[in-house]
Amino acid sequence: MAIDGTKIIHAVMEGSKIRESKGIIPLFGVYLSLCATQYYNKLSFDFEEKMGKKRESEARTLLIGAAQECGYATFQGIRDSWEWKQVVAPMIENKEDQILGFAAVAVAFGWGDLEVEELIPGEKLIIRVSDSYEARGYLEQHGLAKSEKCYMLRGVAGAFMDLIYGGDYPEGLYVFSASETLCRAKGDAYCEFIARKSSHRSDA
Amino acid sequence: MTIFDWQSELNRDGHRVVISGQPIAMHCHHYNINLQKTLEETLGAEGVQLLYRSVEETNYNGLQHLFNQYKKIRTLKSKLEMAALLYQNCGMGILHFKKVRPNSAYIVSTSNHHVTGWLAKHGRRNTPGCHFTRGWIAGTLEVIYERPLGFYIVEERRCKMQGDDTCVFHVKER
Ligand SMILES: [Zn+2]
Ligand SMILES: [Zn+2]
Repeated sequence: MAIDGTKIIHAVMEGSKIRESKGIIPLFGVYLSLCATQYYNKLSFDFEEKMGKKRESEARTLLIGAAQECGYATFQGIRDSWEWKQVVAPMIENKEDQILGFAAVAVAFGWGDLEVEELIPGEKLIIRVSDSYEARGYLEQHGLAKSEKCYMLRGVAGAFMDLIYGGDYPEGLYVFSASETLCRAKGDAYCEFIARKSSHRSDA
Repeated sequence: MTIFDWQSELNRDGHRVVISGQPIAMHCHHYNINLQKTLEETLGAEGVQLLYRSVEETNYNGLQHLFNQYKKIRTLKSKLEMAALLYQNCGMGILHFKKVRPNSAYIVSTSNHHVTGWLAKHGRRNTPGCHFTRGWIAGTLEVIYERPLGFYIVEERRCKMQGDDTCVFHVKER
């Protein structure tokens, strides 16, 4: 593959050590923060719990949506950034390579060991993650889950496809959506995300 | 005084990113602000409280872990310095601990991630919005003064998200 993940990880680690006097980290066209995974996990799973059985699916939709919208804006900023043009763009030969570049950035951000398992251009993306921080956090905090728990990565998988095959930014958000077919939090060996064209757009 | 070498604390452990051995994730202002807005809009005050408590507990654990590792950091001054350094180096912003006592404190933030992020995405708001920083401060002081979680209440009386010059936090016992 043309994408060298270690180069991207190196750029992110070096970039995230740059501190300006205001304590803000501007990198890849966004403001970055470094925060314990425990924070995100507690926030998401407590939110889901607080919403209760009746609003469970609404809670999930909101968490997935927050991540998909963020992934869409963030990775758009990332691929427009000076750092991307310097570090990643030279390794990209085709549209499909962009997704590999995105996945490498996600690994660099500490989201898990994402691997692109299959990509059918314009149709389907399968990403596997054997150590997602959401699944790990859920298992540690709550034990085995009854359903899949990696809402952030699920939103992000949809966003990757939106950015590459959803049409012009910012019109492409939610053109794709992902399901999590396997999840380590419920005892599977790894988490698996499948992004496909949405049957209907949730913003439509 | 350099109390701890920041750059060597931020590392990779395989595919994970760690600070002093604790797993962290890098996220950008889009996600952090989206989460805050989702919680505020969906659950109102309860959502705000949930966010506050999540940071409070996380930072409590994180700082306790750091203080256990750096046994030489014993005085109030050096502990506050370390906390501010952690906040700054995590890209959260700048905190000035102005007056800190066991039962009250006064803290000023001249810039922070959530203010910059909120203003970039949504512009000004009508209420103070640094719930993340409030929780962060609560967890910090509870560790330093060896109090249980929830011991302090942190109020934000001025906030840059609503057009003030700085964010100003007051702490008292619950
Ligand atoms: Zn999962
Ligand atoms: Zn504020």
